[in-house]
Amino acid sequence: MIVLRNVTKVFGRKKALHSVSFATREGEVIGFLGPNGAGKTTTMRMIIGYLKPTSGKVTVFGKDPISERLQVLPHIGYLPENNPLYTEMKAREYLQFIAGVKNHHDEEYLHEMYRKTGIDDVLETKIEELSRGYKQRVGLAASFIGDPRVLILDEPTSGLDPIEQEKIRNLITSQKTKKTIILSTHILSEVEEVADRLIIIHKGSIVYDGAKPAQKGETEVLFRKLVS
Amino acid sequence: MYTLLKKELGLYFNTPLGYVVTVLFAIFANFLFVRDIFLRGDSSMRTFFEFAPWLILVFAPAISMRIFAEEKRVNTLEVLLGLPVSETMIVLAKLLALFIFSAISFALTISIPITLALIGRPAVSEIIVSYAGILFMSLACISLSIFFSSLTKNQIVAFLSSVILLFFLLLLGSDFLAPVLPRILREYMVLLSPLIHLETFLKGIIDFRSLIYFLSFTALFTVLTVINLEKRD
Repeated sequence: MIVLRNVTKVFGRKKALHSVSFATREGEVIGFLGPNGAGKTTTMRMIIGYLKPTSGKVTVFGKDPISERLQVLPHIGYLPENNPLYTEMKAREYLQFIAGVKNHHDEEYLHEMYRKTGIDDVLETKIEELSRGYKQRVGLAASFIGDPRVLILDEPTSGLDPIEQEKIRNLITSQKTKKTIILSTHILSEVEEVADRLIIIHKGSIVYDGAKPAQKGETEVLFRKLVS
Repeated sequence: MYTLLKKELGLYFNTPLGYVVTVLFAIFANFLFVRDIFLRGDSSMRTFFEFAPWLILVFAPAISMRIFAEEKRVNTLEVLLGLPVSETMIVLAKLLALFIFSAISFALTISIPITLALIGRPAVSEIIVSYAGILFMSLACISLSIFFSSLTKNQIVAFLSSVILLFFLLLLGSDFLAPVLPRILREYMVLLSPLIHLETFLKGIIDFRSLIYFLSFTALFTVLTVINLEKRD
């Protein structure tokens, strides 16, 4: 589905990714872990075609996400790091804009999604006036539009209080059955709860790619062992 | 395309900023004309149209500076490029939105020809062709300003770079710079200036060479902007 083969990314003199390879299977949820600056965001940006690899190859559904982006991107829902939004817009305007660009005009689906993500009471509010939690839900709702086969979520619960984190986690879990999800996060308990598989990246290289540890708390032990 | 265009126009017209800029532009443009209308003693808009390029020199970069720079600064460009829409469509929607915005601003100077029609007998066809020339020039200057906006996250840098290059291009066609250029260069260099090409429109003549100049200028900077967006570094 998503395949990275020996992907290296260099910014100026800094090597952000070093020969990264992995492949995803349909319907699996991957917890993408790593300390700050490990290369998680760079990897995700290359999967959606926002960045070009310096060397190596990225394919999504067998296609190049840059040169064939119009065929690839309708099937990807993406929540970028820090959830950038057009804050001058009302929540409804923003989501209708995303739906329009994705050519998704199923009003019933949109209403159901507003309800599921719990934003139906703030649809007429400008995004800049929303709380961080609501902004995050709007960003997630935008990534769900078009019912994409793949969800790429970069730190979806970052900066939220524990109650909001749980709500967002539940939203992600509700998408779990039918989609491939790559979830980047710092919160190890989140990965234990949601993911089927773990990829740990450190200093631009993958240091672990395998099943999630069976016991609760073991993910943290594994993570500390690999990145310390 | 329609969705993108609606979003771009909304970002100008859903905030007070868009209205303030448009109205200020209209007040300033009208003031420039009204200032000496009775001193000139004719019903021509030539003074207004001759000053208009210098107004566009500031206006086009001012309305275009945020168009990509702000998207880069707050990272919404990542959202936009993560959607199934081509870079060409993104750039064209922005260009068209800014062109519509500038056309509306110039439409607010319609009080000038109406006033002239009330007090004299203006050459209507000349005025219409001159307005067309001004709009073509605006389109070209906006495309250049969009390109500079796509190069940086800083709106001020985008604004200043655009103003400096446009100022230089206008000067090439003015009485200040053209005479000091070497004779062999002068003939060709002045042809690069939008001023020279606007001049034919201001005479009420639609010169296809000038039309092609403005359209090629716009196409060149639109393509450069698309190439810059496609770089993905």
